[in-house]
Amino acid sequence: MSRRVLIHVGTPKTGTSHLQDVLFRNRERLREQGVLYPADRFDAHFLAALDLMQLPWGGLEDEAVGAWEALASQVRAHFDAHSDGTAIISHEILATASSGQAQRALASLGHPNTEIHVVLSIRDLVRQIPAEWQENVKHRRELPYARFLAQLRDPARDSAIGSWFWGVQEVPDILDRWAGDLPPDRVHIVTVPRPGGPRDVLWQRFSRTFGLDDLELDVEAERANPSLGVPETTMVRRINIKANKIVPPSAYRPLVRELIAHQTLSRRVESPRLTLPAADHAWVAPLQQKWTDLVRERGYDVIGDLDDLVGAPPPEQYADPDSPDEAQVADAAVDAITALLVENARLFHIEADLRGRLDGAHRELERAYLRPTYRWREKTVRRLQHSRAGRFALRVYRAGRGRSSRSA
Amino acid sequence: MTDPAAAWGWTAHLRDGGTTPWGQWSGAAQPRGVALPGAQQLELLRRVNLVGRPTSALVEAVLASDPPRRSRPALPLAGGVDFADHGPRPVDPTDLGDNDLTRLAAVLLAQHLATRPLAELQAGWRRPWRIRYHLLGDPEHAAPLRRHLTARGRPPGGYGGRVLVLGTDTGRMLVDLWTAHSFRNGAQPWRDWLTVCVRRGTLPTPLDLHLVARREIDRPVSNRVHVVTDPALAPRLLGVRRGPGLPQPMAASGVDLARRVGAALRPIAPPERRARLLTDLLRPRLADEPGLPLVIPSRHRDWVQDEADRLHRQLERGRYPVHGDPALVLPVGRAGVEAPDVSVTLALAVRLLLETEHQDREEGP
Repeated sequence: MSRRVLIHVGTPKTGTSHLQDVLFRNRERLREQGVLYPADRFDAHFLAALDLMQLPWGGLEDEAVGAWEALASQVRAHFDAHSDGTAIISHEILATASSGQAQRALASLGHPNTEIHVVLSIRDLVRQIPAEWQENVKHRRELPYARFLAQLRDPARDSAIGSWFWGVQEVPDILDRWAGDLPPDRVHIVTVPRPGGPRDVLWQRFSRTFGLDDLELDVEAERANPSLGVPETTMVRRINIKANKIVPPSAYRPLVRELIAHQTLSRRVESPRLTLPAADHAWVAPLQQKWTDLVRERGYDVIGDLDDLVGAPPPEQYADPDSPDEAQVADAAVDAITALLVENARLFHIEADLRGRLDGAHRELERAYLRPTYRWREKTVRRLQHSRAGRFALRVYRAGRGRSSRSA
Repeated sequence: MTDPAAAWGWTAHLRDGGTTPWGQWSGAAQPRGVALPGAQQLELLRRVNLVGRPTSALVEAVLASDPPRRSRPALPLAGGVDFADHGPRPVDPTDLGDNDLTRLAAVLLAQHLATRPLAELQAGWRRPWRIRYHLLGDPEHAAPLRRHLTARGRPPGGYGGRVLVLGTDTGRMLVDLWTAHSFRNGAQPWRDWLTVCVRRGTLPTPLDLHLVARREIDRPVSNRVHVVTDPALAPRLLGVRRGPGLPQPMAASGVDLARRVGAALRPIAPPERRARLLTDLLRPRLADEPGLPLVIPSRHRDWVQDEADRLHRQLERGRYPVHGDPALVLPVGRAGVEAPDVSVTLALAVRLLLETEHQDREEGP
């Protein structure tokens, strides 16, 4: 009898969106093959993570109240119904849970009576740092890259940026919080391959870790979190500076993050990529080495190669997003404006269609108003509304008639 | 040099109600538990001990609490825990700011509030002769009047009703709107919120009495719209002799604490219940809190004056009845503070934490 829970707790920017998309779309097939991915919406585990960590997230937390317990109870019910089986939970923001929250989460999943496996996918800091800044920019942040880097270097970590970044990226600390009392063979480290290799290597590593190799799954990605180049990221940051105070988050998400960043600017793959400045390699390389040594010493199950975590050397030509090539930014801006125009044209079309329907409805109404009996009734109602007795008579009449839509 | 025995000793000392700062501590004790609580938890417990004697339940709740995840996590105690070469740096608790401790206290208050039962909503039998109405405008004047009338069988809504757009002086209305936000969802800090309003360049929509009145008049099923600049006149316009009394602005620290507790409640209570927990349970306690209310900071007074002048002119020319002098929307000088003092907010939060135990005892298991 084996009841296994594989809980994937991070880190962000390590292919987690693709993995979660595949698991969600194949959840019925997985269930038929004895693997539970308990989710009735694609972001179910995100909401559960918000609930576990009591984390506000732009209003989404309203939908998250009680979501962790709902998720854990599905896992427990699955094990009650099946003497053995596997359940998978995955969300990268779980990386920032405190020790107490991690312990509560594992206990709710049956720890220590259930076989818990913690999975952590990791990528070298040389790629993670610029990717996190870009993610911050896509979440309305306005701070320049240099200031972001300075906040990461600050040992006090008392800024919101520093606190969040190290919470979700500091591998040894995440492992201390999530896997402190687990045997090393139940802690699985998935390394993200170096750039340039075959595209499906990362999926193969995830598949092996989660025991999906022999299962029939549709692994085509539908949901991903594409990256931007230097001028494109700068352009979005400039939009944030101008528009944050006047564009509400509900409009920012579809228009800036989705339409401009993901659907438009991410296609500009020829522009220079965001990298770590050469000066920052000096502190990042030894830190990364320290983390790699610690993972190796602790004897965790490594899927992939710890040498993948050695970051690429600084590029010969560094493209600074704080002093970008303005012509490239202007090009990106033209693409963004064009995308907004196309979207506006689509909305104009919809608006014209709706206006046409509304006008038709008005004309129908006017035809009804033109009947003499309607005008007489309207005049009577207006007259009655001017006196208390008249209003009372109207209410009696409406109550007697049984109309259900009295209240405006 | 680290001394874990001293750290466990200090923890035990605080558990027993001790108030000695970490820097002056010299005792020792055996470990009790896997890991030491964080510096914020320990220092907050010391501050609670300085004010009163918490029960063991409150002590354990403080020590087991987690700071909100958007701020610094639980920090190791400097001198009590070895720095593991990763994770947050250890700190001396006396170096922690009041903001760190207030955030943690707000989390604890929110967690306690979320467990408390809510009374059934009181609504008297519906008076058939009641005047149908809608109340808009300044939420701090509209909400108590709405509750007062609902409890007396006159809930808002209904066919052909009156729309009353309530207002008062513009500076007070801005404070009132921020107060209402704080008691609903936990708003931004006062200065940040006001700065956003100023940058947008216009009064927030609910306070633009002229705009609200025009919108109501232009609705397809238009109601009779009245702007009321003297809220004392509102009850009579709705057919009752007396209202609930005019609300006094709350102490700045009280609203600041409500804002923080509201924010901490967001992930643990659904919106409707959250609003009632804050309004029905927390608000009555904070309303009695002494202290000066907020006023508009001097750097924004000119902007508020300009907006009030514009509103005054529009009300004088508006095609709707105005009850009260339109000039009542102009700013009034009053005593107050330009921003909440976080140390006062922390002191209030600590007192409330100690009071939660009395509530638990009164309500029973």
